[in-house]
Amino acid sequence: MAISRIARTGAIVAAATLALTACSTGTGGDGASGDCAPSDGPVTLTFTSWLPGVEEAVAIWNEENPDIQVNVQTGPNGLGGTYQNFFNQLAAGNAPDLGQIEYDAMPNFRVQDGLENIAACEGILDARSQFVDWTWSQVTFGEENAVYAIPQDTGPMAMFYRADLFEEAGIDVPTTWDEYRAAAEAIREEGGYITNFSQSDINQFAGFVWQTGGQWFSNSGDEWQVNLTGDESLMVAEYWQGLLADDLVSANPPWTDEWNAAFNNSEVWTWVSAVWGANTILSGAPDTAGNWAVAPMPQWEAGASAAGNWGGSTTAVLKGSDHPYEAAQFALWLNTDADALTAMNRTAQIYPATIEGANLPVFTQGVEFYGGQEIYQVFAEAGTNVDPNFVWGPTMTQVYNDVADGFSGAISGTGTLMDALTAGQQSTIAALRAASIPVQE
Amino acid sequence: MSTDTPTRGKPKSRAVRHRGALLVFLAPFGVLFTLFYIVPILYAIYQSTLVVERDGTFGAARQVFGGLTQYIAVFQNDAFWQSIGRVMLFGIVQVPIMLGLALLLALLLDSPLVRGTKFFRLAFFAPYAVPGVIAAIMWGFLYSPNLSPFTDVTRAIPFLSGELVLWSIANVVTWVYVGYNMLIIYSALLAIPQEIYEAARLDGAGQARIAWSIKIPLVVPALVLTGIFSIIGTLQLLAEPQVFRSFTSTVTSDFTPNLLIYSTASVPNVSLAAAMSVVLALTTFILSFTVLKLTQRRTQA
Repeated sequence: MAISRIARTGAIVAAATLALTACSTGTGGDGASGDCAPSDGPVTLTFTSWLPGVEEAVAIWNEENPDIQVNVQTGPNGLGGTYQNFFNQLAAGNAPDLGQIEYDAMPNFRVQDGLENIAACEGILDARSQFVDWTWSQVTFGEENAVYAIPQDTGPMAMFYRADLFEEAGIDVPTTWDEYRAAAEAIREEGGYITNFSQSDINQFAGFVWQTGGQWFSNSGDEWQVNLTGDESLMVAEYWQGLLADDLVSANPPWTDEWNAAFNNSEVWTWVSAVWGANTILSGAPDTAGNWAVAPMPQWEAGASAAGNWGGSTTAVLKGSDHPYEAAQFALWLNTDADALTAMNRTAQIYPATIEGANLPVFTQGVEFYGGQEIYQVFAEAGTNVDPNFVWGPTMTQVYNDVADGFSGAISGTGTLMDALTAGQQSTIAALRAASIPVQE
Repeated sequence: MSTDTPTRGKPKSRAVRHRGALLVFLAPFGVLFTLFYIVPILYAIYQSTLVVERDGTFGAARQVFGGLTQYIAVFQNDAFWQSIGRVMLFGIVQVPIMLGLALLLALLLDSPLVRGTKFFRLAFFAPYAVPGVIAAIMWGFLYSPNLSPFTDVTRAIPFLSGELVLWSIANVVTWVYVGYNMLIIYSALLAIPQEIYEAARLDGAGQARIAWSIKIPLVVPALVLTGIFSIIGTLQLLAEPQVFRSFTSTVTSDFTPNLLIYSTASVPNVSLAAAMSVVLALTTFILSFTVLKLTQRRTQA
């Protein structure tokens, strides 16, 4: 059931530069270059990931590097259990050498001291120029001489829609959120729903806020500011609250069989999602092959081209790895090598975080499931329209849980999405204080 | 006392040998009990007394002794007490229904008027052989408005809605455990001496009268036992609501105390989660003990 939630979250930089990093703990790969030396003899690394079919890419590496063998352990997606496993394993001192971590969870792992700084490892700092700027600042937290993970993929958002159904019903494909609502009303009259509101996965909502120009967190270096209830967030919440109130969107819990079934039986017509969502539809709604198409996500103002980002992962070297040098080399290879990127796209439809990756043949071809459309062009375009300055907080698991609980309540009739954000604002500040993380009241 | 010296040595050595055997037989239990029960509990108590300190927004965390800080946080945590309230409501409704059903089934099986008792005994018990998670998945599909084989029913009655989902879960729990509780009560019924029934029949009592005046009073200890097990099980509800989260988002991350502890631990805020666990354990203990005392007083009176 954990299909392809590859990388739900995306993100950008905790821009703050921290004066204190230099004197934190001092074990592992922090600091001077001597700290990241190759190990003697053959090594075996462990790598935990939930990317579908990641084993294929790893097999290529194992073939080419007999002395650095990588064992893949697959698990549920990050919030579905893998992060909790990582936290437990880190506390117990037996975390895998490498782990898949989404951008939005990076601050959380950093705060828990779970990431090895691999800046001193050979070739890592030089790799900067290969990656899309915002992904690199995401893994360095904007600091010099710090690299906490290698970016893997990004999740620029666009709109998947049922081209066949729109055409049959004579409804125009919406380009603005106003048109989207009008289309929702027309589709409801046809007996369908324009989309499913992602009530228990708040990443999609965060992506909408991101598109609108909102910010949930900022970090001044001395303290965090939490702002779940900014004007942009409330505007997005009111829009969706309106659709929910008029029964224009369905509310199946995301990532369930029920939710897949709604796509598969043509009840749900569109999904504003990230590039990796291509895999979700493909595997969850096989009966609809050939009927989907991709268009830019609806805009608040006609003619605009803002996009949100939803998801995107990194490959991090986890604290306590005995072989940070080899682990860093593997992480860099996995996310820059043309064969590896092609293999991961084939099995998981991910879109690489490297600049060159976008030019791989696989990203310039039409995709059969999507009627032969060159869908990656749409996402590449969206990628350039993503605001690079969205900051994630240090307790996103809690934020998602609390806001999702509030959203579920709103859907079953207690409160509104706006109330849920207000409650989430308070509980997030409380959670940061409980973890002694300085936060502005 | 009056034994002579040679024999006095014998029991002594036998006692020593006996103690060795005791140790051998108790060791596996003792070691496992200590490792997987005592040590985790002590560790949870220790963990619950810690708080985190750090400098700056990404400063390294230090765990320091914080006294009762986490416990104060638990008592101020609305979500925690709401979840306790929710499972209490669940228990007040579900436990009597389940035990009533279990008692009824046990009495039917024990009644000489019913045929095919062997078959029914197995049939009633069979759901307990289904692992709880599997049972929850199965019922989740049955309740689901689009995936159920009975979509006409599930679309008309929103089993997974905010109002009904607690009772839908209660139905799953009842389905799984009614046979198990029935078996305990049934064993207690089998232990009742036949002479009592003979005496009752001589006095002219029918089957219903025997059930009401003899069988039920005599299985009260079994009912108390199953009642206490059920109270503990209710407060610790985790698997069924956790599974239901993949069918409906009306089961929130703080739906039951254990779910809340689980999501608190994944923040990760393990100290607060540990304090919640300790408070939950104490609540369970107090509640079970109270029920035990109350029922004992009543049966003695």
